[in-house]
Amino acid sequence: MSDQRIFTRYRADEIKAEFQNVEVKKFKSNAMKRKNALRKIIANLTMGNLNEMSYLFPEIINYWKIEDDIEVRRICHEYIRKLGPSKPKNANDALPYILKDLDNRNPALQIMAIKTLLMVPSPDYVDEAFRFVSGIINRRSSSSDVLKTSIFALTQLDDINHDRALPLLDSLRDIISGDHQINSVKVAALNTLYTIHEKNLSLPNLNLTVDASYDLLTILPKLNEWDKALLLESLICVCVPQTHNDAYDLIDMVEPQLQHVNTYVALNALKFIIYITNYVDHISDNLSKKLSSSIIALLNKPPELQFLVLRNVILLLLSRESLILNLDVSYFFVEYNDPIYIKDTKLECLYLLANKDNLHNILEELEQYATDIDIQMSRKAIRAIGNLAVKLDENSADECVNTLLNLLEFGVDYVVEEIISVFRNILRKYQDQYKSQISTLVSYTDSIHESDSKNAMIWIITNYADILPEYLEYFRVFSSHILEETLEVQFSILNSSVKFFARNISKETEALCIEILKCCTEEIDNPDLRDRAFMYWRLLSLLQSPKSEINVEVIKDIVDGELPLIELNTKLDPAILEELELNIGSIASIYLKPVSQIFKQIKTKQLPSSSVLNQNRDSINIVSNENLIHEQKRSQTDRFSDINHYSEGRSIPSKPSRRNTIMDDYDKPAETVNQLKGKMRSSNSSSSLLSRKPTKLMRKLTIKKPF
Amino acid sequence: MVSGVYFCDASGKPILSRRYRDDIPLSAIDKFSQILLEHEEESSVVPPCLLYQGIHYLFIQHSDIYVVALTTSYQTNIAQIFMFLHQLVSVLGDYLKSVEEESIRDNFVIIYELLDEMMDYGIPQITETKMLKQYITQKSFKLIKAAKKKRNAARPPVALTNSVSWRQEGIKYKKNEAYLDIIESINMLMNQQGQVLRSEIIGEVKVKSRLSGMPDLKLGINDKGIFSKYLENEEDFSKPVQIINDDSTTNGKKSNIELEDLKFHQCVRLSKFENEKIITFIPPDGEFELMNYRLTTPIKPLIWCDINIQVHSKSRIEIHCRAKAQIKKKSIANNVEILIPVPDDADTPTFKYSHGSIKWLPEKNAILWKLRSFAGGKEYSMTAQLGLPSVDGIEPPKVKRPVQIKFQIPYFTTSGIQVRYLKINEPKLQYKSFPWVRYITQSGDDYTIR
Repeated sequence: MSDQRIFTRYRADEIKAEFQNVEVKKFKSNAMKRKNALRKIIANLTMGNLNEMSYLFPEIINYWKIEDDIEVRRICHEYIRKLGPSKPKNANDALPYILKDLDNRNPALQIMAIKTLLMVPSPDYVDEAFRFVSGIINRRSSSSDVLKTSIFALTQLDDINHDRALPLLDSLRDIISGDHQINSVKVAALNTLYTIHEKNLSLPNLNLTVDASYDLLTILPKLNEWDKALLLESLICVCVPQTHNDAYDLIDMVEPQLQHVNTYVALNALKFIIYITNYVDHISDNLSKKLSSSIIALLNKPPELQFLVLRNVILLLLSRESLILNLDVSYFFVEYNDPIYIKDTKLECLYLLANKDNLHNILEELEQYATDIDIQMSRKAIRAIGNLAVKLDENSADECVNTLLNLLEFGVDYVVEEIISVFRNILRKYQDQYKSQISTLVSYTDSIHESDSKNAMIWIITNYADILPEYLEYFRVFSSHILEETLEVQFSILNSSVKFFARNISKETEALCIEILKCCTEEIDNPDLRDRAFMYWRLLSLLQSPKSEINVEVIKDIVDGELPLIELNTKLDPAILEELELNIGSIASIYLKPVSQIFKQIKTKQLPSSSVLNQNRDSINIVSNENLIHEQKRSQTDRFSDINHYSEGRSIPSKPSRRNTIMDDYDKPAETVNQLKGKMRSSNSSSSLLSRKPTKLMRKLTIKKPF
Repeated sequence: MVSGVYFCDASGKPILSRRYRDDIPLSAIDKFSQILLEHEEESSVVPPCLLYQGIHYLFIQHSDIYVVALTTSYQTNIAQIFMFLHQLVSVLGDYLKSVEEESIRDNFVIIYELLDEMMDYGIPQITETKMLKQYITQKSFKLIKAAKKKRNAARPPVALTNSVSWRQEGIKYKKNEAYLDIIESINMLMNQQGQVLRSEIIGEVKVKSRLSGMPDLKLGINDKGIFSKYLENEEDFSKPVQIINDDSTTNGKKSNIELEDLKFHQCVRLSKFENEKIITFIPPDGEFELMNYRLTTPIKPLIWCDINIQVHSKSRIEIHCRAKAQIKKKSIANNVEILIPVPDDADTPTFKYSHGSIKWLPEKNAILWKLRSFAGGKEYSMTAQLGLPSVDGIEPPKVKRPVQIKFQIPYFTTSGIQVRYLKINEPKLQYKSFPWVRYITQSGDDYTIR
């Protein structure tokens, strides 16, 4: 095949000549040669050689008429699919042939034809597609493959013309509830119905009775893997348990699927069970064990899937305080050859999993990462240690700080920089606890180059000036180069110099302050910085005017006020969590962003109400089987009070923007940690990328002379 | 639901595509290579999920190709997509034996059929090879690969005996550390218009080992998949070069660069590198140069100076200089020195500048502008004025001397080489060890603007 060079650019007349050549000589191998020429057309279409190939339309029609071979047909259809959108006239000429294939007895041809009809956005094509699809769906008599394709096609037709698709939805309902022989068709019908309901705001949410859902779930074991997963996905929010017992039964039916080898199925089973747990009042510890072990099993997959699972673990850890999952931290330890995005996510999981008991293990692990060869990883590990110190209580913070001080001894630039940055946060939470370490920290003043850590260092020097005798010396390291610093550092220098002056009025501090103020107002041309410098200047000059009521104390209060205690908040808005939980496994779960935040017009997924809906997801108890009976009795009394609170619990307003303000770094949604977002610059910046592509060198390394 | 499935080559250019839904523009996949490139600039491993202009690019890598699925909705189940892509590759593996660029091109008809059967309107249908074989019975065209030449057959393997000539036994350290410095020096010649006339990267990897016993080190650099593929290409010269389309040749991302030298220290097991592309070695104690390489490749000037010199004869000379750091925003160039030559009879200099410090060096007949740190994307400027003697008769200097620039950029390599891991293993002592790596790009001996 490769000697034929199919995958090269041809001109239309070259292929035309080849056709003629084939026609003239009547050899046996003609069919093969003709096919080869046709393949060349498709290859050229794939390469984007559309214009040239459009001249070959008559030839294509010609072969459509005379050839019965399925591959030739396939090529003809492919040709129309590729060219139809840009050449409506050709497409219309070809329509009769497509219709002929549609009426063919061979289901394969029928399917091909219906797909072609959908790929060409012309009114005639759509019209024919509607006619055919509604015929097939209403009759339900033709081959199940054609029926299934037609059902799926309806999703797309609905996009084009919703009103025309609407009457067909009832037929779909009949297929689902009826006793159609082929289970796969049922799933297709359910999925199509579900998708159409999801997409159209005018339609209410799809709803199936619990009995109907039971019926569908009983066919679960007989389905193929993709249908299994589709069924589970389509039932979420559609099947609403009305009693606790309904919920337990549903869980029992789905539970075996957690062990499915296909991640899609396993994850959807997990999603379904998590959804149903909103309608139970307790969970057996068996189930909790099963859920946890299925997640651990899912971690042994190719990196992309592992990444997805890990992101969803983060989601579950954020949303479920009462540990539905019981995951051992050791599964989230980083392997040295994990891709960086997995390392990041594992780090985040470790951070979320950390508590008093496992802190020691986690810190040991993080300390390892901090000495990792990968600079980014090392920085992130240090940041995580710092955040843990802030997140946990004082005793744990001690351990974290000790780890950081150990790392500081290595004295490697980026490690020091990162440690200084996180220390600022620690010091803000525990103001007095680590005073004795300050002198060690500031001794690294000279090895800091990054603006964030410079900021942190300036803040530390300023705040602990009272215990640092030579604080001005340290400060000068930064202030003497103020012109070369970044804007943020310039701001800190300005603020600190004013603070020094306000706290301790002396010749030295006055000189320093005036020097900085002068520099900021006269030499730096950033308007914000200049304005702030002027503001300070005026404030300070009010000191001298006898009439004003401003004295040093007031100024101190203004420039050097108490800072609020910081806290790391790992909580997301419950409404958002609810929505994310219903989207497990979707792209939204990778970014940990609710869909409603991005697309206003799309329906937000919400737990459908039911008398047994839990208002508080943390209230579920996990009980071992022995306690079960006792537990059930108790819960029956609880339930009445639940219902009373019901209405309040559901009306939590969703404020998506709140999230970003509360959270700090490690709890930020995926895009900051994974750098998935914000890195996409406009297209014109790519001119310089040529030489920086990392893989380039590796390619070069191999094209070399022997040693 | 998947809107389309695409096979792309190693640089992200589409080879083959199958669109399932009509909700994304045809050109969307063409952006893929560009997006990849932008992400690779940040880190050599790109997360498998990228968002660009409202379209999600989900992909897996297999040998030298990317298999990409595009979708528009956040609600798309990504487990479905990744699972499908993996299954797709394994099915293709059953049909084609080896799944790579060449075999995909050769078998596109069968792949189109498979894609049609395996997915309907973006919903996976059948992914079992046995089931599919009932529908699709075509034979595939197998790649006939030239058998690898065994170049190293004659060379005896490096014996792992106790006698390692470059390292004595019984070395002991309290703290076991290994430092890795990757230093790239840039030599570049530019003209006043900003054209790069000549450029090369000279890289060295220096190791300082402070490790006890007889440690065995394993160094992993960037991506291995791409590594091996190019080795095969190199050995198979008989295969004509495939032209994907006209653009790729003008773009020439792969073809233009030549690595002239790659040399290893004697401790590196060359046979292991040749066969498995892993750099393994028992390091000598202390500092040594593990490897060096040279790369001739077009680079954009990292520090660029726009210099404008006006000579008012008999009175003075005016020099305007605008320096720009054309590096990543996050990077900082340190110790930047710009040496601008002036006529040897100039005197009484006056300077105007916003940043750094400027000195006149009469013994070098030049002015030197020093910037302690120069953040990426920043632009600084200076003006200098020097007096010229009013005496006539001295002709202008015959040799025009170039402007020289020196700089250092930490945490950055121009070629993009990156250390993925450095495993240290001492079989007997089993101690804990700390590997450190530093990257630095600096000006070479010859970084000049003519």
